[in-house]
Amino acid sequence: MKALIELLKVPSLLTVQDSGRPGYRKLGVPVSGFMDDYSARIANYLVGNPGNTPLLEFLLAGPTIRFNASAVFAVAGDVDVRLNGLPVELWRSYWAKRGDIIEVGTLKDGLYGYIAFAGGIKCEKVLGSCSAYPKAGLGRPLKSGDRLSLSYALLTGREGRYLPQELRPDYSAKEVTVRVIPGPNLEHFTAGGVKTFMSSAYTVTPESDRMGYHLDGPRIEHSKRGADIITEPLLPGAVQIPANGKPIVMMKDAQTTGGYAWIATVISADLPLLAQSRPGTRIKFKEVDVREAQKILKRREKMMEAIKAFLDGKMRAYRIRAGKEERIAFTKVEKA
Amino acid sequence: MIPELKPAGDSALLISFGETIEEEINSRVHAIARAIEKADFEWLVEVVPAYSSLLVVYDLLKVSYAEVESAIKPLLSAETESFRGRLVEVPVVYGSSYGPDIDFVAKHNALTVDEVIEIHSRPVYLVYCLGFLPGFAYLGGMDERIAAPRLEKPRLKVPAGSVGIAGKQTGIYPLESPGGWRLIGRTPLRLFNPSKDRPTLLQPGDRVKFVPINESEFRDLYEKEWGESVD
Repeated sequence: MKALIELLKVPSLLTVQDSGRPGYRKLGVPVSGFMDDYSARIANYLVGNPGNTPLLEFLLAGPTIRFNASAVFAVAGDVDVRLNGLPVELWRSYWAKRGDIIEVGTLKDGLYGYIAFAGGIKCEKVLGSCSAYPKAGLGRPLKSGDRLSLSYALLTGREGRYLPQELRPDYSAKEVTVRVIPGPNLEHFTAGGVKTFMSSAYTVTPESDRMGYHLDGPRIEHSKRGADIITEPLLPGAVQIPANGKPIVMMKDAQTTGGYAWIATVISADLPLLAQSRPGTRIKFKEVDVREAQKILKRREKMMEAIKAFLDGKMRAYRIRAGKEERIAFTKVEKA
Repeated sequence: MIPELKPAGDSALLISFGETIEEEINSRVHAIARAIEKADFEWLVEVVPAYSSLLVVYDLLKVSYAEVESAIKPLLSAETESFRGRLVEVPVVYGSSYGPDIDFVAKHNALTVDEVIEIHSRPVYLVYCLGFLPGFAYLGGMDERIAAPRLEKPRLKVPAGSVGIAGKQTGIYPLESPGGWRLIGRTPLRLFNPSKDRPTLLQPGDRVKFVPINESEFRDLYEKEWGESVD
């Protein structure tokens, strides 16, 4: 075990996560994994890893880490990071030497930040994943003094990969629009109830965690069939409305079945945005259909592929101005 | 009876037979789940059955909702006979510190403790589905003569394996967790063991028979199952 990092300070929830453990939901095991799939995957791309490689996910305040061997790392999130006391750029990969210390501060925007290491955190997969789900004894929250091994990838790690501002996710908005697909339990709501849900602003409350985000706002009216349903399967993004009429959105560690009427589901492409919405953020829902949601995700995935190719040096990015609009375009790097 | 198909978000299709708890319908749910798993679609992520509905989770980068729907439709008539769950015997030590609420359940229903044990361990229960916690089975078939309300104040710590009653339901806590069910006993078996290929003792569609055991049998079985003695 040569490649080691040691956690000197852990001020907040810190866990190992990867892309999760699908396949066991029928046995009651939640899927878990990165709360913000985009930031986490980009953190991995920054150090040359495949997107699903295990990394560290922190809630709000990041840890202080000592390297007991050299390694390449990158931090994704809007946060101050110091390497041996000197500020470093975010969304950029750095080479840390044995004995170096990085201090990750507190996020200015968003809720979850990511620290990736070239090769990834070494861990024994349980049910196909390294993602921590402490409730069932699958991994545990990390604490100061913990030492972690890295999988060997010193040759693949490269310093200096950098993601420009324009390509980073932006989680600074105090009011966000989250797109949803209505249903499947619409018959449990009055037409007015559905309208309230779709047209009101809801505020993320502090009870929110990796299991679910509790929202506060205008009460959503159930139909005569009421708030309770015969237990049905659930999945991340599902918006349940219990008897108090306030939405709960299922997140990555959500239980696999539930008994509250399910009014709508957040589309896959917008789940990271919701995950990064701090308590106090106002959420507005907007209806889309499945085909639209699929188009949005496909576009997003194309962008992710381009970002990966850009970070791998296989693409160049350009800022294009067309009238008032500005966008990023990519072109392939010509081989010499 | 033809189930209703509808989208549940952008990456799942919900097959629903309506809101009902019936063995016959639940068998169909499991038969369909099995048929979809067997078909081995390359876009299939997983199938999650519940009481009278099942969720088909797919990879939306590989397939559209319409394609999933038309692939699944021919499988909806899967024969119930194609799926038979196992019969799993679950040993339980009833009463004393293992089941501190058994006296309450007895008094509440004007029964003796022995009658509660007899009534609880007589039926063969059906595992309608798993959920709530890893390895937690929603069991059907409890005799309503031993029904009991939940605790007003849930316990902060219920030991793994505790067998409880909440309303007309009975269940087993797979993990140590907080809980408000009336505890009547405890099984030494591990309901959830992630290091096993088959991580849960019970699978959807299984049948369960509780077998009363005494405290020393409990201790022996517990040590065998957990590799340590019970505290």
